[in-house]
Amino acid sequence: MALLEVEDLSIGYRTRLGLHRAVEGVSFSLEEGKSLGFVGESGCGKTTVGMALMGLLPRNGIILRGSVLFEGRDILAISEEELRLLRWKKISMIFQAAMNALNPVKRVADQVAEAILAHTRSVSRAEASRQVEGLFQLVGVPKNRMRDYPHQYSGGMKQRAIIAMALACKPRLIIADEPTTALDVIVQDQILQETRLLQEQLGISIIFISHDISIVADVCHDIGIMYAGELVEYGNRNELFNSPAHPYTRALLSSFPTLTGNREMLKPIAGEPPNLLNPPRGCRFCARCPEASEECDSFSPQWIELSPRHKVRCVRFRRKEGQQ
Amino acid sequence: MKEEAGHPFLSFDSVSKFYFSRGRILGGRGRQVVALNRLTLDIRKGEIFGLVGESGSGKTTAGRLIVRLEDADRGSILVEGQDITHLRGRRLKDFRRRIQMIFQDPYQSLNPQLSVFDTVSEPLLIHRKGDRLSRREMVLNALQSVGLSPPEDFVHRFPHQMSGGQRQRVAIARAMVLGPDFVVADEPTSMLDASISAQIFNILLEMQKNLGITLLFITHSLAAARYLCDRIAVIYRGNLMELGSADDVIQRPRHPYTQALIDALPKFGQCGEAARFNTFLKAERESSATIGCAFFGRCSIANRILCSQEVPPLKTVSPGRQVACFFAQEQGKNLPASKTCYYGI
Repeated sequence: MALLEVEDLSIGYRTRLGLHRAVEGVSFSLEEGKSLGFVGESGCGKTTVGMALMGLLPRNGIILRGSVLFEGRDILAISEEELRLLRWKKISMIFQAAMNALNPVKRVADQVAEAILAHTRSVSRAEASRQVEGLFQLVGVPKNRMRDYPHQYSGGMKQRAIIAMALACKPRLIIADEPTTALDVIVQDQILQETRLLQEQLGISIIFISHDISIVADVCHDIGIMYAGELVEYGNRNELFNSPAHPYTRALLSSFPTLTGNREMLKPIAGEPPNLLNPPRGCRFCARCPEASEECDSFSPQWIELSPRHKVRCVRFRRKEGQQ
Repeated sequence: MKEEAGHPFLSFDSVSKFYFSRGRILGGRGRQVVALNRLTLDIRKGEIFGLVGESGSGKTTAGRLIVRLEDADRGSILVEGQDITHLRGRRLKDFRRRIQMIFQDPYQSLNPQLSVFDTVSEPLLIHRKGDRLSRREMVLNALQSVGLSPPEDFVHRFPHQMSGGQRQRVAIARAMVLGPDFVVADEPTSMLDASISAQIFNILLEMQKNLGITLLFITHSLAAARYLCDRIAVIYRGNLMELGSADDVIQRPRHPYTQALIDALPKFGQCGEAARFNTFLKAERESSATIGCAFFGRCSIANRILCSQEVPPLKTVSPGRQVACFFAQEQGKNLPASKTCYYGI
């Protein structure tokens, strides 16, 4: 059985102007020890999905439908207290600018130890700090920096400390939301490599959230492309990149500059994502899609399986199969 | 792209800039930090020149020196042969009309209390250009040229009513409205999604093509630099490491630091076993010396004695191509050319 099974998850935000339908009918599953990446533009709902999995939606956020089974238990249905026990012990999260959330007047190592002590009652202070030492070694923070304060760390080291904190209680699932934005490429590369290594060594499952396809592609086994609150394409990394199917996926890829080959004009995606207070009836990408036909306007596309490990929501594919 | 394009518009002549970290409580300056170390380079008229480096490399400092937000400690910056490092008063103001800057973060660089119209017309007021009517015309034209159309829909908006991409367009319109000759764009897309970045890149390319503006594009992204720039310079801790045409530097990197930057880019698609240069040391090498090559501590091909004692001079290795490394010639590997291998930005 999969570690995490998300079925038809829909989330809205109550706003003054009405219900903002941030996430609509998202389903996926994640096996133990695998990594899954969500890619999309800002506002596509990827962060909302991550927050919902942690039970950390803001107060105006409501789950409209769906279930989230973690180790077979529906964590949307359990009490806040049970959720609190689950959080960090079983599921931990690396937030976008987490390195700025370190307490400036406490030593970094003590803050990591605090995470351990808060969740495991049987551990003594000395034992906790021994564990922190091991964690810092794991993520590559030198031992002689254990007694330093956050301002003495570089950005990359702070982010490593945050990863150490996320690993502190040996969780089974880590949700990483843009964990490397604001870091330099070389530091980013080191952190991504470490993440991959840790994942293989410790068998942790990871959900990776980013607007940058390349980062997700670098780390994840499976990738989900999100647009305006919906998953539009989902599949194994290689299949998805070798034959991107959804027009949005292809548009995203062609807005990326390359290092080799001819310098071709980048084609940005024209227009803006739809207003989710009143989402379009048909395909949500329809208004910006260069290949849209009339039916796209009125029918919401269904999932089409292109292969056992690659599926897409676009009417073009059903039509193509019919023609063959 | 256009190798023969014109004489230098702007030249850095051995420019250095130092900062001092906070000293002790009573007196005494703190540790000296070298932001730019004797930077010498030319930017040709009409080209897009890329300055590529990581945070702390001094690339932003270089941009700020050009627009005179800060003053160089040594050396001079020449614009069309005239030293601008000591301009004051009226002449500085005239100079600033010709040189504009686009900042990194459109969430911070726009005044939240000014409407789009006020933001874009402010430079016109400061430089006393036009009357009420012609100013409105100029603002609308500037908004149109950055793709905010119809411009009438945007003039009354405030920053919080716009997306990041739209805000950055407003910032570009503000820089363009005076009709400058030279624009410094400091990481204009680092706060934006990849798909929005492409729109901003294309606007900058059009500016160069249609208006003949010379651009300094400051970025940490090699892919963005390759897309936009005619020539690029790679800098590390204030030192110029490598300079040449964008394609040449990126596809045939000769400096171990440039190679390390390329290694670090996330890759995806059909890359095969993309060759790595492996020039970056995981653990920084102990080095007490402040003399020698700036990259010595991290360089896997460094010669322990030579590189720690002597600064490698900037040598011309082929026409238009300069590298500051003793071993530039030996670093012969090229980037594997694969059309379906994507690199991150």
